Amino acid sequence: MHNVVRALRLERGLSQQELAEAMAVSRQTINSIERDRYTPSLPLAIALARFFGLPVEEVFDGNHDEHP
Amino acid sequence: METMTNIPRSRWFLPLFSTALGVAFFVAFWLGDERGSAWFSLALMTGLGLAFLLGGRFDMVRGLRGDGRDEYWARLDVHATALAGHVVIVAIIGMCLWEWGHGRDGSPYVQLGALTGVAYVVALAVLRWRG
Repeated sequence: MHNVVRALRLERGLSQQELAEAMAVSRQTINSIERDRYTPSLPLAIALARFFGLPVEEVFDGNHDEHP
Repeated sequence: METMTNIPRSRWFLPLFSTALGVAFFVAFWLGDERGSAWFSLALMTGLGLAFLLGGRFDMVRGLRGDGRDEYWARLDVHATALAGHVVIVAIIGMCLWEWGHGRDGSPYVQLGALTGVAYVVALAVLRWRG
């Protein structure tokens, strides 16, 4: 699923590792999400959105999902 | 909010499991009077266990061990397990055909195939029942 996690992370000057630690997931998980290779679970998607202070739909764009 | 979709295993589980398997192989080979194979399998599995224990700086090792496993790794694990299962099923079918083609009854591949099929259907039913 297309998302803006990478842009939001870079805006805040965070590394993938730092974001991963904040979300209690591995760095590979963040990397895969940023590269649209992995669609996170709903709890993780909500946690990411809350972390960035945005609604989920502003972080993840379901209209660009490769598996609609 | 909980983001982990499975319970991470201890970093000790896989190293100890590998070593325990090595001990089991050792005993089996020893009882079969295959002393060389007994020592070799014990050394191999213990070495593998040590590699798992000491290789924690690698993400792949932590993912395999389970202590570095999150929802992404859990998904990889499910897919890898399914792929391995398909490989085994294809091998079992192939071996059944080979055995039958050579005039034998297909043992033990027929039994393994039946067990696989029953296990799959039961697992599907239980998972469906649990919702």
